[in-house]
Amino acid sequence: MRFFLGMLAGAVVIIGWVVLNPGQKKPMPITLTFHAEMEGEPLVYDQFVYDNPGGTGQFRVRDFRFYLSNLSFGQGDQTFAEPESYHLLRFDNADKTHSITLPEVPLTSIDTVRFLIGVDPAANESIDVRGDLDPNSQMAWNWEVGYKFVVFEGALQVDQDVSPLVYHVGFSENAREVAFSLPADVLTEANGQIHLTVDPTKLFDGIARVDMQALPSVKFNRSDAAMLANNYATMIAPAF
Amino acid sequence: MLRVVLILAIAAGVAAMGWMVWDRARSPVATPIADFSAPFVFGRFAVPPDNPLTEEAFALGRHLFYDPMLSGNNEVSCATCHVQALAFTDGRAKSPSLSGGELDFSSMSLANLLWGQERFFWDGRAASLEDQALMPIQHADEMGQDIDALVDELRASATYRKMFLQAYGAVTPENMANALATFMRMLISSDSKYDKYLRGEVRLTAQEEHGRKLFMAHPDTKISLRGGNCIDCHSQFLTSGFRDALDGFSNNGLDPEETLPDGLMAVTGNPAHKGFFKVPTLRNIAVTAPYMHDGRFETLEDVMAHYNDGIVVSDTLSPLILEADNAPEAGQDTVGLRMTGEEMEAIIAFLHTLTDEAFLTNPLFSSPFDGGS
Repeated sequence: MRFFLGMLAGAVVIIGWVVLNPGQKKPMPITLTFHAEMEGEPLVYDQFVYDNPGGTGQFRVRDFRFYLSNLSFGQGDQTFAEPESYHLLRFDNADKTHSITLPEVPLTSIDTVRFLIGVDPAANESIDVRGDLDPNSQMAWNWEVGYKFVVFEGALQVDQDVSPLVYHVGFSENAREVAFSLPADVLTEANGQIHLTVDPTKLFDGIARVDMQALPSVKFNRSDAAMLANNYATMIAPAF
Repeated sequence: MLRVVLILAIAAGVAAMGWMVWDRARSPVATPIADFSAPFVFGRFAVPPDNPLTEEAFALGRHLFYDPMLSGNNEVSCATCHVQALAFTDGRAKSPSLSGGELDFSSMSLANLLWGQERFFWDGRAASLEDQALMPIQHADEMGQDIDALVDELRASATYRKMFLQAYGAVTPENMANALATFMRMLISSDSKYDKYLRGEVRLTAQEEHGRKLFMAHPDTKISLRGGNCIDCHSQFLTSGFRDALDGFSNNGLDPEETLPDGLMAVTGNPAHKGFFKVPTLRNIAVTAPYMHDGRFETLEDVMAHYNDGIVVSDTLSPLILEADNAPEAGQDTVGLRMTGEEMEAIIAFLHTLTDEAFLTNPLFSSPFDGGS
């Protein structure tokens, strides 16, 4: 009898392990969809419809894009990091969205999502092509500096005067980590879809408020770049 | 004895005929181009899966490229306006039209087409090299050829029938386009002084190095960084326009609003693209004068003068050009980089390091009808 009970206990343990072991389940696909929105509506390009956050006049957006890198997902103390994780997000399409799909994430569920806005220092100092990093692309500055992390270009109209706006933020110290938790069951209910909003206005309206007329461009000045980086650190938010 | 010899001879004849029939009937097995390499700094490239690079396609494409049979009057070949010694341009502002005038655009250089923009012509109207290849042939003012008549002419030639068979199979417009695209894709320029510098084989002179630094820098008076701003449109290693989407097209301030040509807008219908033209490669730029889509500038000095103080403002002008200024004080009446004469000379010296003599004289890219094979 004791032998039989021992066998039974052993069987329960083995069956339980097989059934409950997360490693035995199929990897799941996950899609992150980023929606570029300003003032709560999809981003409008090429029209003077947005107010200068820190001053007078209206601005238009000609180009807005940024690098997102080192995407990882966590479940308890387990982590899955996407290899070669360098994505250029741009929104000049009909939906003003950009999606990143990972066909196989070997976790049974996900409770945290992490990534960088920008590029990690090792990749930023390299001219190797990996992911969407391309030293012959518009996002490359030059060998010495690395990549632009966030690009925002357009024009400001004050009365009848139109002047250019050029904000290129780079430098390794300006990568900013974004991390958020997923409420339980969000993924199962949404079939692996995670939606996020990206608000480019945050670049100019965050910890610091920027008057585009007073600061129409940011490129290599490190304190200006850091100010915009601290602002863009909060431009992405999950939308459940 | 005689009978044996006769039988053997007949058998050999039958075997030879059988081989010839089989050789003609079998599907062609073209040889992949195996030993070509390109600098890793050029980055990734893609060849259409239905038109792989093969030796036979390249040989056919080269013949077609140099053959005036491709034109309606049998006098104009692709090479008429794309001369190897001029990096496959023709030295004219605009090429002559068959009807006596001139064409709308300047002849474009053909180099490193595997990289850079995936749209072709100055206004980007062709979405692939295969699409591009047949357009000038059929254009009434360029080569004025009826494509079906051309296929008939090519089919009448035993040489072309054989070359098409070996490369693809039948003589068709599609295979003609495929072969020309393959030839153009293999026109790789990667042995200029700049390439040798990137490979660590040579040093640039102090002036060339100064020019290189200016080329790569967007000026920022706030940190006293001087720059020629070239890299905002011309990628640092390829020196072509950018590959992603339509990033490789720009309005570089040539014309005012009233006379601004449509450019890319004619293709996309997007008013934000008015006056946008394809950013050309600067490889071999010293031998491809005159410059711009309409050949309006005769020398590199003229081009530098344009960017230095001749920018014409229009609504779609690149903000990167409008904003780039090396002078800290507010502008006067002109818009431009406001560099010194010495800085402009340095950039021009750097541009000369992009000339690739090996490319301009590579016998593989020359006419196969001039004693080549």
